[in-house]
Amino acid sequence: MSEPTAAIEPIASVQPKKIRWLKNKKLDQYLVFWVVPVFFQVFGLVFVPLTWMMPPMSPDKPLADIVTFMQTSPLELALSLYILVSGLGAVVTVGAYWLVLARMAVSPAIKYAFLAGQVIGSVVGALLPVSLFGLAGFRSGYDPETLAMFYDFAYLAYNGSLGCFCLPWLALSLAIILDKNRILPKWLGYYTAWQYVTELFAASVWLTTAQPFGWNGYLAFYFNMLLYVPWQIIIFFQIYKALKNQPEDELDNVRLERSLPSYQAVPAYS
Amino acid sequence: MNYFLHNTLTHVWAFLMAVTVAAWGFSQHSDGVNPALTIGVLVIAFIKAQLVIWHFMEVKRSPAWLKKTCWAWLIVTALLILIFYAYFL
Amino acid sequence: MTSSADAVMTKPPTTPPGSQLAGEGSMWFFIIGDLIIFSVYFVFYTWHRGINQELFLESQLQLNQGIGFINTLILLTSSLFIALGAQSVHEGEYRRALALMRTAFFIGALFPVLKMVEWLPKINAGITPGENLFYLYYYIMTGLHLCHVLLGLVIQAFVLRHLASEKTPDAEFVDSGAVYWHMVDLLWIVVFAMFYLMR
Repeated sequence: MSEPTAAIEPIASVQPKKIRWLKNKKLDQYLVFWVVPVFFQVFGLVFVPLTWMMPPMSPDKPLADIVTFMQTSPLELALSLYILVSGLGAVVTVGAYWLVLARMAVSPAIKYAFLAGQVIGSVVGALLPVSLFGLAGFRSGYDPETLAMFYDFAYLAYNGSLGCFCLPWLALSLAIILDKNRILPKWLGYYTAWQYVTELFAASVWLTTAQPFGWNGYLAFYFNMLLYVPWQIIIFFQIYKALKNQPEDELDNVRLERSLPSYQAVPAYS
Repeated sequence: MNYFLHNTLTHVWAFLMAVTVAAWGFSQHSDGVNPALTIGVLVIAFIKAQLVIWHFMEVKRSPAWLKKTCWAWLIVTALLILIFYAYFL
Repeated sequence: MTSSADAVMTKPPTTPPGSQLAGEGSMWFFIIGDLIIFSVYFVFYTWHRGINQELFLESQLQLNQGIGFINTLILLTSSLFIALGAQSVHEGEYRRALALMRTAFFIGALFPVLKMVEWLPKINAGITPGENLFYLYYYIMTGLHLCHVLLGLVIQAFVLRHLASEKTPDAEFVDSGAVYWHMVDLLWIVVFAMFYLMR
């Protein structure tokens, strides 16, 4: 008779742990948050080892090279993958920022400017180049000149659309600096202001194909990346910290439970 | 009026204005490659920059780390610019 | 003499030595980063200027030297008034501070106006950023600097509103705006030397 009791005990000790994890009041927030690193992994995978779109090719590539580059099969593979994730990813990464933006004590106009800018930016900067590469990869029969145009267009949309991100970064920067609740540290707001500046720098990719201001230029691309990549990592950790530090009674689902008596019968941490 | 006349900030400003006029005046007489002028103009610019940092931005009264950082920025920037200028002469 | 002066220096009456940061720490983070960003551009500019010396020299001589010069004087003077204003706030002379800051604002506001007087004839004459590498650098760097000037004017407008409405203004806030404006001045000093003066 010792066997069943031995079998029951571990279950009993595991069960509350499982429920505690599931009943974490911030579970939804963490889910939204973790989409960001996952999205950037896929994003990096697609644009670097699959399509080799990044690091950027030379804008002055010979026509024959453009044609082979635009019609490779890894490109097709990557595109199909990317089309699946980009719509979702681009929108949900905004969600992680929104989790902290929503708690900031600043004008809603700034918050909505961020949202609108991000959405426009992801259409032009992510979906447009991918659609153009898709056109070249899945539809055969375009002549080389048309493919060269796609190449130009896709890269300009990807690297030079950065102008679309001016609005959201400026809004985010202002929100962090002006926020009276101090959800994110003020210096991060200033760091975000540089993201706005780097987007302005990127405008030069439309004007020249030569170094250092072409789309593969030391200043127009690599220097901007040097400023951007650490920022993306830092703001990711800062958002995580802000989520963790949020008092539970501030959460919407907690307020919801308080207003509904039937929920109160089942305390979360029993 | 005394407040302005007997103020270090005003003295620094007068010096900055004077060297600006001088540097500009010198460069107006030169339209070819002119290393002596260029080095002079760049050195003046960085002296002006340091005066702005030191007196206007009040770094003279700031913690040591900020003083060091500002000096490091000034010296590294000035040296790199002068070295690259000289390299292509 | 020196030893007694040193003794006075090492024992200041109220504040510990060298612990006063003018303005907020986060503003200094921004200023130092901004200085480094501009430096990277200055160094790249010098490099490309060296490679294309003839082209850069020829283009430099086409710039409106007079406006560049006057704009330098404008920023220096505006900076002086800001510095005096910030000092007045620390001395508790709030009315004088407000008058000085107002003067600084109006002098500073001339900078973008003159920048347009410099740019628009150039653009009308067909000399746009696409003209050559010098002009690309010129428009990007002076344009970026102009953005800083405009932001500085916005900050100064907030400082003026603060000084006009508060009985005891927040000196740290005034200082943050002031050090930002001085940085704009300082960057222009280097831009002026590198784009207008060097040969």
